[in-house]
Formats: sequence, C-alpha cells, structure tokens
Amino acid sequence: MKMNRTIIHTLSFLFITILSIGVTSADNIHDEKIYEGDGYQINNYFIEVSGITPFEGGVILDVTIYQLKPDGSYEKLTTTDSTKSEDKRKEVKYHSGSVEITVNEKNLTSKYIIVDITTAGIVIEYETAVDGGVSQANYIGEPSLTLTKEVDKSNVEIGDIIRVTIKAKNDGNGIAKRISIDQGFTPGFTFKSNIYATYPTELDIGSSFTQMFIYEIEATNSGTFSLSPATASYSSSVFDDDYSSTSNSPSVTVAGEAVETSEIDIEVTADKTKIKRGEKITFTIHVENLKDGPASTIRIDPIIPMSMTYVSGSEDIDIISEKPVIQESVYGARYEKDYKITLKADEIGYNELIVKLTYNNGTGTVNKEITSDSFYVGKGEFDFLAEYPLYIYVVPVLIIVAIAGWLYWRRSQFRM
Amino acid sequence: MLNVLIIGIGQCGNRILDSINKEAFGGGKLSKYYSRQKFPSRVETIAINTAINDLKEMRYTKAKDRIHIPNLHGLGANRIVGKQCFNENSDMIMRNISERGEFDVAFVISSSSGGTGSSFSPPLIKELKNRYDFPVYSIVVLPFREEGTIYLQNSAFCLKEMRESETDGIILADNQFLKNVGGNIQTAYDGINKMVAERVLFLLEALDSEMMMVTDLGDFKTVMAGGAGFATIGFAKGDNITPIKTVIRDSLSPSGLLFSSNVYEEGSRAMIILRGDRKYLSIDDISSEIDKLSSHIGHVFKGVIIRNGETPQVLSVLTLETTAELDNLYTLAVEAIHMEKEKRSRMAIRKEADAIFSKIDGLEPEY
Repeated sequence: MKMNRTIIHTLSFLFITILSIGVTSADNIHDEKIYEGDGYQINNYFIEVSGITPFEGGVILDVTIYQLKPDGSYEKLTTTDSTKSEDKRKEVKYHSGSVEITVNEKNLTSKYIIVDITTAGIVIEYETAVDGGVSQANYIGEPSLTLTKEVDKSNVEIGDIIRVTIKAKNDGNGIAKRISIDQGFTPGFTFKSNIYATYPTELDIGSSFTQMFIYEIEATNSGTFSLSPATASYSSSVFDDDYSSTSNSPSVTVAGEAVETSEIDIEVTADKTKIKRGEKITFTIHVENLKDGPASTIRIDPIIPMSMTYVSGSEDIDIISEKPVIQESVYGARYEKDYKITLKADEIGYNELIVKLTYNNGTGTVNKEITSDSFYVGKGEFDFLAEYPLYIYVVPVLIIVAIAGWLYWRRSQFRM
Repeated sequence: MLNVLIIGIGQCGNRILDSINKEAFGGGKLSKYYSRQKFPSRVETIAINTAINDLKEMRYTKAKDRIHIPNLHGLGANRIVGKQCFNENSDMIMRNISERGEFDVAFVISSSSGGTGSSFSPPLIKELKNRYDFPVYSIVVLPFREEGTIYLQNSAFCLKEMRESETDGIILADNQFLKNVGGNIQTAYDGINKMVAERVLFLLEALDSEMMMVTDLGDFKTVMAGGAGFATIGFAKGDNITPIKTVIRDSLSPSGLLFSSNVYEEGSRAMIILRGDRKYLSIDDISSEIDKLSSHIGHVFKGVIIRNGETPQVLSVLTLETTAELDNLYTLAVEAIHMEKEKRSRMAIRKEADAIFSKIDGLEPEY
C-alpha cells in the first residue's frame, strides 16, 4: 500500500512537472480579453486580473500569477510590481527554471484587459478563461480509482446466496467525479437484489476505501468461477474525458448438485444388564438407512470382549477367522434390520460390546463405531465352589473314586 | 464254626443257590455292593451248570463260584447225556471242591426233573460220599406235574438214583405244592427259591449258633437219619400277638411246608428251631406243642435262638416214614414212562415209512 502510494506520488510529481515544466517548447496566446476579477488558466498556472484601478486619469493594472495546488489551494507566484513605471507594469513575468510565463498588456480598459500570454517550458494541456478569479480555478489532476470486489463466501453450493461488496478509493491526484459502477455480473449467477446502491458519485484524492455497492447473487451452476470484475467509470474535475477502473475478480467455487447419499444409523441393545458367569446375553444390533439413497458394501464387526465367548447369532452372521462378521451388499432406502448375537460370559467384571460399521454411502466409505451400555458379569452359580481349598474337593473325589472302584471291583466279582 | 458246602446244580439249583447268597447279603438288590454275607458258618457255594446263560443270570454268586461244564449248552432234559457229561467232567468238579478246603456238611441243591441238575446230582453225591466222610444232604425240587412226561420220568429216576447214591437225606420241595406262592410261574419260582433259601439259612444258623436250647449238626444228622430218607422243611413267622404254639403249628401245616405231608402221620423225626425275642418264646407253650408232636412221631429236637426285638419264627425239619405224595408222583412217572414208550413205538412206524421211501433211492424220474 505504501509502495503504491509512493508510486502514485511519483507519477503525480512527474505529471505536474510535465505540465509545469514541460520541455523547452513555447506557446503564445494572443488577444485574450480578461475582465477584472477574472483570470486565465494554463495547466495549473492561473493568471488573474486582480484589479484595474483608476489612477490619475488612467488605470493601473494588477495581474497575479498563481500556482494551483491539488488540494484546491493556490500559491501566488508573482504579481504586478506597483513600484515600476507604468510602461514597465505592462508586462508581468514569472520565471522559474525553464518555465516562463509572460503576460503582456495590449489594451487596458477600466473593465478588462486584452493581453498576450507567452509561455515557455510548458506543454499546454489545458487553457481556459475562468470567471471569478483563482478561487474558481480547478486544479488539473487525474483521478485513479482502485476498485475491489469481495465475496462473503467462496465455496458454495448451487442455490446458495453470495453477497458481493464493491469498494473504491481514489489513488489519483484529481477528484474522481461522476462515478458510475458497473457491478460486472457473471454467467452462472443470478442477480438477486441490491443491498446498498447509493454510492457516492465523487471520491476525493486519497480517500480510503469507500463502500460503493453491495448486492446479492445466487449460484446457479456448478464449477469454479472468477466473478466478472466491477468497472467504475468516472471523470476528472476539469476534463470530460472518461476514466475507468476495474476491480479484481474473486474466485467462487460452486459445488455440483448434491448426490443422493445414504446414512446408516446403528444401535446396540442387550437383553440384560446383569448376568452371571457362564450365562448368556443376547445383543440386538439394529441398523437403519435413514436416507433415500442406497448404502452398499456394508460390513458390521461386533468386537467380542476378551472375557466373552461368541455362542450364536442370526443367520446372516458369518464366522471369519473365528470372529462374527455381518456382510451385506446393499441396504435400500429406509431399510431396517435387526441382528441378534449371543455371547457367553467367561469372566467376572464389567463389559460392553463395541460394534464397528463400515459402508459406502454413495460418495465414499463411512466408518462408524458404537458401544453398547455396560453390563456386569457377576459370580456364576457354582463359582463359590472354586473358593474352597483343594482338599474340599479332593477328599470327596477320592471317596467317590474309591466307591466307584469298589463297585467296579465288586461287580466284576459277580460277572461271568 | 461249621464248614458248610452248598452246591447248586442246574438252572433250579443255581437259582436257589443265588437266592441263598442274596439272602445272606441281606436280601437287598444292591446289598452285594455294600454288605458282607452273614453266614454263621464258613460257607462255600458252588454253582454248576452246562448252560452258560443260566450261570450268567446269577447275580449274587461270585463268578469264581460258578463252574461251567464246557462245550455244552444244556442237556435237553436228557439224563443219560447228563450223566455221561458228568463222568467226563467229574475230575474238574471234584478238584474245584477239594480246593475249597475241609467241610463238615454239604448240601446239594437241584431239580429232579431237568437235565443237568437231575443227572449230575446223584453221581456227584456219590463222588462226595466216596471221597469225604462229611454228610451230604440233597435238596431236591420236584416239578409241576403238568410240566411234561420227561420231567416226571426224570424225577422218578433221579430220586431213585439219589437214594442209591448214599446221600444222607433228601429234603423235598415240591413246585406243584408251592405253586400258589406267586401269581404267575416266574413269581412262583422266585417265591419258591426265596422260601428254600430262607429255610436253608435258618437251618445253618440253627446248626452253628449259640442257643438257649441247643440243636447242632449231630441232632440234624440224627433227624435226617430217621424215616425213609426223605425229609422236608417247614417255616412260619408270627407277629407280636401270635402265640408261639400257633407259629409252631403253622410251620408244620401245609402253608409252612415245602412238600405236601401230614407230619403227624407221616413224620418220623423232627427238629424244631424257634427264633425271636424272649418275650414271645414261652418255654411252656413250646414244650407243650413239641410234646404234642413227639407223641405222634417220636423224637423231636428243639432249639431256641434268642433275638431281641424279633417276632417269633419257627423252622421245622421233618423226616418222613412214608409219603403219599411221592407215591402219587411215581404213579404219574410210570404213566409218563409208558407214554414215552408209546411215542417211541410210533417212531418205529415212521422208520417203516422211511423204508418204503428207500425203495426209490438211487432212481430218477423218467419223462
């Protein structure tokens, strides 16, 4: 930004220099009739007839040459030297460097003066008589608008509304006048409405970014678009010449029409919350396709806890690598199904069944994982037996074995 | 302690022997697994049979006490074949007996009508008598009269040969007399077997127990030496209100005897053993009743075994001078023998028919 400003100032200086200094060319303006209080502008030099004062039967002329400034002010460069003789006062000259402006009185009346104006070192771009003196002169500079076009979102879907904001600032050295903005509509978008359209028709030199236009468009086609740039048409303060500036082209990506996808919801419920070791618990895995699109390549993996053993399950459950797996090719729209899986508790403690779901929803692979409510495996009906010392079992077993041995031996005595 | 040998021969003898062993265990179906046999004496039991299946049916007799006569599966009630078979295997049988030690008395139990029992018993008793000097008593079961002519003739010859074998006494049990014990034949057999078994065990107890009034093997020998060599056993059991006199009379009545007999008229000698709680055993009543029997048949030995808490039981052993029932049996047996002869003559006619057919032997029909 600072760099831009430096460049602009440099260009302005060069422009003024060209205007003010020009090259070594000279020009003459003859017989220009100027009334008292009026003046004549050559580029940004202004020759004002400040006064025609009666004096001793005649009139005394006061001519002042000004330098106009971009900010509307002006600087007096020279004026008629009242101390000079009447003849000498018929000429007013400004000389600075190569620039030289000479005003020669040819005919002076009490109302006006007719002069010849000779310039040197100036390329006259602009010259005109100005009523009202220097205060009515306009600085001759060129406006330069910097225009921006902004969007509130750059990734949208068809049907989405995008708000576009156009801002401008005058980076030139002349006031931009009669500004009109062409928003620059882009194919693939439909204009919806203007949010703000009462933008200023003039921008002063060095103004900050000013909001010029806000409007909304609707994305109608998919793809990546560079929005057509906005164009500002404007004029300088003294020239009718048209200037124009164009904004940047923001990029907007419009996603294609949404593909009908599927979404599978999965729930796991157990028939019990508490079981004894050795008992069975049955889980119901409920799956439902919530959307109208079909889901494909469905795989459901119940992760059997280490302390549980798979006992049985629905017909659809396959055993792969000793693990239960549910594989389905397609779930149609709004399809629902329940799978049963029965496990046996091997150890005491809290457990839960984790079920992993993988499917293709039409656009890609979706992974889900769900965990059942926790359930508790308590002591088995005969677990208390394991709590007794070994001899409690050994003695009866030995007795039983002895009795069995006795019975066998005794029976063999009576068998032939 | 007496050393007693009990040999059961043939299907009938085996079953009675098995029943004795069962009762010795206590009578329960599974008693052999948890109980010891309660013989008062040292008792060795041996079952002998030509039919292996009959031996296998035994449940309470140890396998080592069962002798199968090899290569034969029953004799088909043919006593001639049976005696020949015994002769061929007598050494093995006698060796088995000798390996069991010394005995004071032996009982040989068999049916008189079947094959193995009726044909093996007489020669076996003869062998025992030849080799040993202990008394050998046979317990013989007579057949149902309607069982057939062969069984009747077998019985007649068996009993005759039994007498000739120098047995020390034949104790008769008659299926025909006892057949009302059970509802059907099998139940009757089982009931008869149990009755015989109970009496034999009671008798062994009487011969080898400490008693208030003693009877011993000597007394038994004396009783069995009386009469015509035939004897039977009676048994009765009273309850806590039945007078002991009644129980004694019941044991001598047809309902208590194993063989049909009018003991007061046919009896020769007797041994009456009473067992039970002292309170049921009135000596006066006992003496009164036994004196009454003595007045009819002569000498009666009596013994009393005290068993606290037991209701009174009476065992009577009676030898018979005469027996009308045995006479009837032999009458039927003679008829049976004649019938078999007639059948044999009919067989001769068949042989004549065979001779007629033999005229075309070696010829072929010509067409």
